[in-house]
This record gives sequence, C-alpha cells and structure tokens, in this order.
Amino acid sequence: MNKSNTYIFIYSTVMVVVVASLLAMASNVLKPFQEKNLEIAKKLEILHSVDKGWDASSADSKNAYVDGEYAKYIAETLVVNASGDTISGQDAFMVDLVKEMEKDSSARSLPVFVCHQDNGGVNYIFPVQGKGLWGPIWGYVSLKEDMNTIAGVFFDHQGETPGLGAEINTLWFQKPFIGKKLFNASSQFVAIKVAKTGEPREAEHSVDAISGGTITSKGLQNTIFDSMQMYLPFLTKNKK
Amino acid sequence: MSQMFSSKNLKLLTNPLNLENPITVQVLGICSALAVTVKMKPAFVMALSVIIVTAFSNLIISTLRKSIPVRIRIIVQLVVVASLVIIVDQVLKAFVYDVSKQLSVFVGLIITNCILMGRLEAFAMANKPWESFIDGIGNGIGYGWILIAVSFVREFLGSGSVFGFPVMEKIGAYSIGYVNNGLMIMPPAALIIVGVIIWIQRSRTKSLIEKE
Amino acid sequence: MENHINLFVSSVFVNNMVFAYFLGMCSYLAVSKTVKTAVGLGAAVIFVMIITIPVNYLLEKYLLVEGALTWISPKLAELDLSFLSFIMFIAVIAAIVQLVEMIVERFSPSLYNSLGIFLPLIAVNCAILGGALFMQQKEFSTVWESATFALGSGIGWAIAIIALAALREKMKYSNVPAPLRGLGITFILVGLMAMAFMGFMGFKI
Repeated sequence: MNKSNTYIFIYSTVMVVVVASLLAMASNVLKPFQEKNLEIAKKLEILHSVDKGWDASSADSKNAYVDGEYAKYIAETLVVNASGDTISGQDAFMVDLVKEMEKDSSARSLPVFVCHQDNGGVNYIFPVQGKGLWGPIWGYVSLKEDMNTIAGVFFDHQGETPGLGAEINTLWFQKPFIGKKLFNASSQFVAIKVAKTGEPREAEHSVDAISGGTITSKGLQNTIFDSMQMYLPFLTKNKK
Repeated sequence: MSQMFSSKNLKLLTNPLNLENPITVQVLGICSALAVTVKMKPAFVMALSVIIVTAFSNLIISTLRKSIPVRIRIIVQLVVVASLVIIVDQVLKAFVYDVSKQLSVFVGLIITNCILMGRLEAFAMANKPWESFIDGIGNGIGYGWILIAVSFVREFLGSGSVFGFPVMEKIGAYSIGYVNNGLMIMPPAALIIVGVIIWIQRSRTKSLIEKE
Repeated sequence: MENHINLFVSSVFVNNMVFAYFLGMCSYLAVSKTVKTAVGLGAAVIFVMIITIPVNYLLEKYLLVEGALTWISPKLAELDLSFLSFIMFIAVIAAIVQLVEMIVERFSPSLYNSLGIFLPLIAVNCAILGGALFMQQKEFSTVWESATFALGSGIGWAIAIIALAALREKMKYSNVPAPLRGLGITFILVGLMAMAFMGFMGFKI
C-alpha cells in the first residue's frame, strides 16, 4: 500500500483536523465536571486546616457534603493587598496564589478565609505555596483571633518521595503545628522552624522535621515563612 | 451472531488470559502494570482503561488499515492511541478525581504501553475489525487480571485491606499483634510478585518454559 | 547550583526511572541479555531524554498551558491547550527517535544492527514519555532544571539496564529452576536490585 505523497499529506491533514476537533469537544464537555472536582478539592483542603470536613469520603454525596460544610463554616472571605487593607470586588476563592506570587508585591491580591467555629471562635485561614524537593507544595494555615497562634494546618504536595517528604500531608506531621506561634515574645515575625533532631529550637516556634525528608521539610519551612510574610501587614494590623 | 462468537473468535478472547498473556508471556506493558498496583481500586480503574483503549484502538486501526499509508502508520497509530488515552484521562478527571490523582502520570503512559502498539502491529493491521476488537478486549483482560492479582496481594499484605475494605482490622488481627508488611507497598514487591506468578504459571503449563 | 545537584542525584538514584517507577520495562527486560547492547540502548535513551524533555518543556510552557500563548497575542491568554499535551509530547518523541535512528544508522551500522528493532521502540519506551510527563508534573521553573532532570533520569535508566545485563550474563552459569528460567528469575532479580536501590531513599544530600 504505497500511496502517493499527496495522499499521505491529505490523510494526515484530515486526521489532524478530525482528532483535534474531537478532543476539543471532549475537553469542553468534560470541563465543568473537572472544574467542580478541583473546586471541591480546594474547599476540602481549606476545611481540613480548621479540622473540619473529615467525613467527606464516607458521605453519600461528597460534593454536597463539602459544599454544605464549606457554606456553614467559611461564610466570610476577604481579599487583602500587600499593605494589609481589604480590597473589594474580588472573589477570594478564585484568587490563584501562584499567579499572585509572580507579581510585584504591591500588585498582589491575597485571599483570606474566615472560619466561624461552632463554639463562637473565629479562625483566619491563609493559603501557603512553595517548593519541596520534587515539585510544588501547598497548604493552608489557620490562625486564632490573636493572629499569632496556629489553630490548624493542612499541607499537600504533588510528587514528594513516598514515606519521606510525602509525609507532610499526614496528620502526625500536621498535628504538632497546633498551638505554635508565628511571632516571638518581642513581637518579631519568626514563623515556624521545621527542625531536624539536634538542631537548636524554640519550643513555641518549632516542629519536628521528617527524617530523610530534609529538603521537603526545609522547603515547607520556607513556604510558610515566605507566604505568611506576604500577610505580615494584615497580621500586624489585626493583631490582638 | 453465532459467527461473531465462533470458536476461533473465542480463542482470541481466552488465549491472552493464559497461554499468550501479554504480561507474563509476551512481556508487554509491564511499566504501568507494576506502578499502579499498590491498591486494588486504582489497579482496577487502570485495567478498565487499558481494556477500553486496546479494544477501541484495535477497532479503529483495523477499520482504517487499508487506507493508512505505510510510511506514516506508526504516527497514525500513536495519534489514535493518544487521542483515546486523552479522552480516558479527561473522563477519569471528571468523574473519579481521587483515582485519577493516584494514577497521576500513569494514565498518560498507557500511550506507550507496549501492549497497544504490539497488538496494533501484530494483529489489527492484518485482521478484520470485529476480530481485532475481540483481540483487544482479550489482551486488555489478560493484562487486567495480572494487575488485579498483584494489587490484591500487595494491598492485602501491605495495607491489610481488600478493595479499601479493612479486612485485617475487622477480624481483629492488629489487636493480637499482626503487623502489615511495609515492603509490600514498596516497588520491589511488585516485581517479585510478578516473578512468582510467572513461576506458578510455567510450573502448571510446561510448554511455556524457556529453553536454555 | 545546589538545587541542580540535588535534582540530579535524586533522579539517578532515589527516584530511579526503573526501580522506583518501573518505566521503560519492556525494552529493559528484552535488551538486557548482553552488556554490549545494554550500553548501546542506555546511551540512546540518555541521548533521546536530554533532547526531548527540554524541548517538551519549552512546548509546554510556550504553547500548551493556560496563558502560554500570550506571546502571540494577549487575546489568547484564556486559551488552555493542555489537553493536547500527550499528543504533543509523543509526536516530539517519535520525531526525535526517527532522527537518532538515522544518525546511528549512518555512523555506526554495527550498533544499528545490534539494537535491531529496539531503536524504534524507544519511541514507545515509557521512560521517555514518563520523563516528559514527570517534567510536566514537577513544574520546573527553568529549562535548565528540566535538562538536569533529563540527564539524571537517563543516566539512572542506563545504569539500571547495564547492571541487569551484567547480572544476566553471569546468570547463564547458574542452575535456575526450569519454570523460573528466563523471564521469571529476571523479575525477581530486578526486585532484589530495586530493594538495594531503596537504600538510597534515606539519602541526605
């Protein structure tokens, strides 16, 4: 079946057009579902940082459960600028932190999520974003009303080494963050140190690193420091 | 209808399960077989995806086989396979997001799963669409059952559960001191389990034993 | 620089394409009977990796992801073509493999003969496409990082296949139970090698 060049050319052109339109169609039809999944995943991460939403996998309808919990606890969101003032007209949930971090610090709009707990307490949730050993790591840090004490955290990663760096998304690693403080006694911003065994540490500002996951641990330490530093003016203004 | 399921066609379906198994005999498609077998659920989804892609790529290529110019046939095959895989990937992302996250890059790697190109070259380019379709399903299932078998052993011994159901916890094995075997969830276990499956299969079917 | 060394060492040893991700297993098992062909295929894989991964990185960054096309016209900022990435990657790989095949045929007919049908098979070597997909997943910030990753992954794969070939040459003299002969024992061998490579996992750099 040796066909002429013209035939091959026409054949490939037709193939490319057919395949491209087919794929574009499939991608368009499925996009809303995929976006809904991403939205649910993000909402769940935010809820986890305030110790909520743990029944998602056993719920009858995961989407309905997550949407419900989110609407119940995260009723309020704000977007703040680099000097810590609230800006209006933007949806905090839609802000892409990765893109904001590429901008000049003065042009950034930074999302803050506010959680009203059942007992009347208020937590402020801040997204964090950075790099581990193999790729991006991200998460949410929630603070108590004093804008200093950590109420809960959630971290996840894309491709850290299983059993080592990948442990940052487990509860045993995340629980010790609760109660740690971002500012020291003289109100200086020190964030959280992820310390290896034997490294000097201050109990209020350090958690244990993952043994063997040094680069991921350091990456997470920098992630928290860099991301929370962007919110520093906001934190100082609202500190109690 | 009887012609469609003639004994010859049934052979196409059953041979790949044992005598011509793509993984243990033809040595095709091992890459993804080993990487997604830590838990049964992703292994099952992977097996299903591969069955769908092999069946339909065989069908499409076989239908087109007379019109495909020889010189660009590999590219045509790759394009057909890649498009099917993209569709599968998009569907997984839309409807079983958690599983698609676990499978990560391995859905994309179905494209380079040697079963596909192997069957397209060896079978679909020379046979009628319906036979090719059956051949695709047969090889997909032959691949799939090895995947399920390996993942069953790994999940049961490594995580103490079957299809996510915590068997070991329910029968109270942990309280009497049973501990999961952590090696099972590590990569080497998959290789050794496949080696053992080959051992068992060839002990039972002597004709498959390799000559010195 | 430190970052590059980390990435390189991790991709050679810790996240070895063969022992941690099982990529490129088909040709890995089929061409590992003698050290000579293993070296040839290993070199070919390194070469193809180093070219395809950075090329795919640039394509991904300037053509496929959302907002990548702004360099043509700001109007295209919303366009997201990432669903085409699989096809794009595999096409680039197939083209480059074709090129390598022609070069090898021209300059080293003996290598070409001994690699036989496995050179075209590099196009469907999962390690190559896997490399491109991991590159996409890891979101490297510069093309140089992707090149370091490509070099490391290629070398890791080559080390793995040469080591296995050397072992299999020696295996000829051992008395393996008949049903395990050939493929069966090779799997178990690779399993044991993977276990040894797991020792690199706690590696502190």
